[in-house]
Amino acid sequence: MSGRHVKDYEPIIGRRKVDQLYRLADGLRHLRFVNVNSTRTGGGVAEILTQLVPLFNSLELRARWEVAEGTPEFFDVTKRMHNGLQGQQVPFTERDTDCYRGVNTYNRKLLDLEAEVVIIHDPQPAALIEARRAEQVWIWRCHIDLSHPLRKVWRFVRRYVINFDATIFSLPAFVQRLPIPQFMIAPSIDPLSDKNVELPEGEIEETLDTLGIPHDKPLLLQVSRFDRFKDPIGVIRAYQMVKKNIDCRLILAGGPATDDPEGEAVLSEVMDRAAGDSDIHVLLLPPDSNRTINALQRAADIILQKSIKEGFGLTVAEAMWKGKPVVGGAAGGITLQIRDGHNGFLVHSVEGAAYRVRYLLHRPELRQRMGEVARESVREHFLLTRNLRDYLTLTYALLNPGTDVVNLQA
Amino acid sequence: MAPVEQPHIPLACSFHFYESVSLVRLTGLRAKTLDELATLLADVDHEVIFHHMHQYFLKETAEAPDYPNDFAQWAAESLEDRVLAERLANVDPFEYESLEEVREALMAIIDEHLDAMPYPRPVLPGKEFFFNQTFSIVVPTGLDAMTLSQFRDELAQVDDSSIYYHVLEARLRLHKKGDDFSQWLEDCLGMTDLAERIRRIDPYFTTLNDLRSEILALVDEYMAMEL
Repeated sequence: MSGRHVKDYEPIIGRRKVDQLYRLADGLRHLRFVNVNSTRTGGGVAEILTQLVPLFNSLELRARWEVAEGTPEFFDVTKRMHNGLQGQQVPFTERDTDCYRGVNTYNRKLLDLEAEVVIIHDPQPAALIEARRAEQVWIWRCHIDLSHPLRKVWRFVRRYVINFDATIFSLPAFVQRLPIPQFMIAPSIDPLSDKNVELPEGEIEETLDTLGIPHDKPLLLQVSRFDRFKDPIGVIRAYQMVKKNIDCRLILAGGPATDDPEGEAVLSEVMDRAAGDSDIHVLLLPPDSNRTINALQRAADIILQKSIKEGFGLTVAEAMWKGKPVVGGAAGGITLQIRDGHNGFLVHSVEGAAYRVRYLLHRPELRQRMGEVARESVREHFLLTRNLRDYLTLTYALLNPGTDVVNLQA
Repeated sequence: MAPVEQPHIPLACSFHFYESVSLVRLTGLRAKTLDELATLLADVDHEVIFHHMHQYFLKETAEAPDYPNDFAQWAAESLEDRVLAERLANVDPFEYESLEEVREALMAIIDEHLDAMPYPRPVLPGKEFFFNQTFSIVVPTGLDAMTLSQFRDELAQVDDSSIYYHVLEARLRLHKKGDDFSQWLEDCLGMTDLAERIRRIDPYFTTLNDLRSEILALVDEYMAMEL
């Protein structure tokens, strides 16, 4: 997983793009970078740091990753802050803010923030900004959907955020009114991770065998949690509409809903709806099933991501990277990844999803062509190396405030 | 190396290929209706207009966009107003001498549309127009050409962003209807005819890679003729 070198990506992005990263890094070697988040494992932020920090170092840049500590009460508070910032109604009291400040004060003493560029990920360690020294550059990287934050939580976090030099959001829709520069960096996938790496044909068929899925007719797939916003019921309804005309199978692959009562309810509705149809395969995969999901995506003929609400929806980029056309709900970051009719289809209803799936099932050549375009879109915009390049570019932007163009010398 | 170009090479007149690396800067301004778009568009910085009139060229190298600028795309996708989208799509930034003129052309279309339909409906949440701009870094590629055949070989291998920088961005940077390639071919190699043919390529309806192919084809044709 970790410890990759930027040169490992050369067969995928080409020598020129790798050289470009070196040229960008050349002007930043005098700097030290430190990233801070609040967990070493689990979750998207830890995953991206596990991938990115070694790549920084492989460019001979000095980058580190510090993990803030916290008490169970702190993580309960920050979980509620996270949900509140994503627009959910949550309790948020003075006791919560005291706890948040207290743990951040403790972390200020604990963590080594000695670097010229400090990148703080998400709200948990945002109050560390109080440790800032004048000559440092501090960046707040927000990975969450801030399009409709609960005001009381955002106002509290905002007080810290305005003391940073810049913020990064994943989508333009997450932008806020802030007195500091705001940049957009889209998330990315790692083409060399288990989830995305090329698989031998044998492994794909073996995975289907192990899961008891016959490969005898076209396969439709949606990979997502059993969550209403991902609309798994809508996906089954779309499949049922398609099935009237074209025989096919549907695979719904998600995780077991162990600690989420809402997830359990959705799963049970899915099971009811799928009952009696042996061509619907509902898979409850353990969290480390990256290679299995990879194989399913490669086996599928068409991949759906029929979300009604979505943060970024990186599963779309993962599917597109495997050369599959995706039929995706026109929500959140999905609209940034799918260019309707070019590299997939954007849909607004169950009927729309059914129509586009039928349309594609009838056109194997178009499916192939769209899939190829989809893969190229991801190569261009959603790979880890682009994310790395964006961080380097951002550093130049912050070292040259007030300018729109920086000319590097030969 | 093609012998044809030897007589034309002035000393120390080589072409330096650069690339452009960019990052989207968010302004925090957003419009829910066409009316709000018009109000904000009237005052935003030129860099914002540049970004929304040009970013498709950078973004869509894998596939050609339906509409070649963000204003037209938003009118089509979010306002679902195809008439407005088509009219905005016709504003070709390369026909104008300055970004202020581009702004005026856009505003004229929007104002006329608003006068005809004075009660614009708001878009759905999340579909607002977000005003952004570009921060960019110009990076030397280390590739320099002294001759036409060197130029041809290097043009074939540079990053798409190099084509963007030398052809599209150059027009605004140099404030004229030209590009770095044709200027160099004319000034340093004296190839006025080839330069003129490259200058005549319409960059508005092509991807960067297609643009590269078109230029390469013209260069190849020229070299074949000279041989």
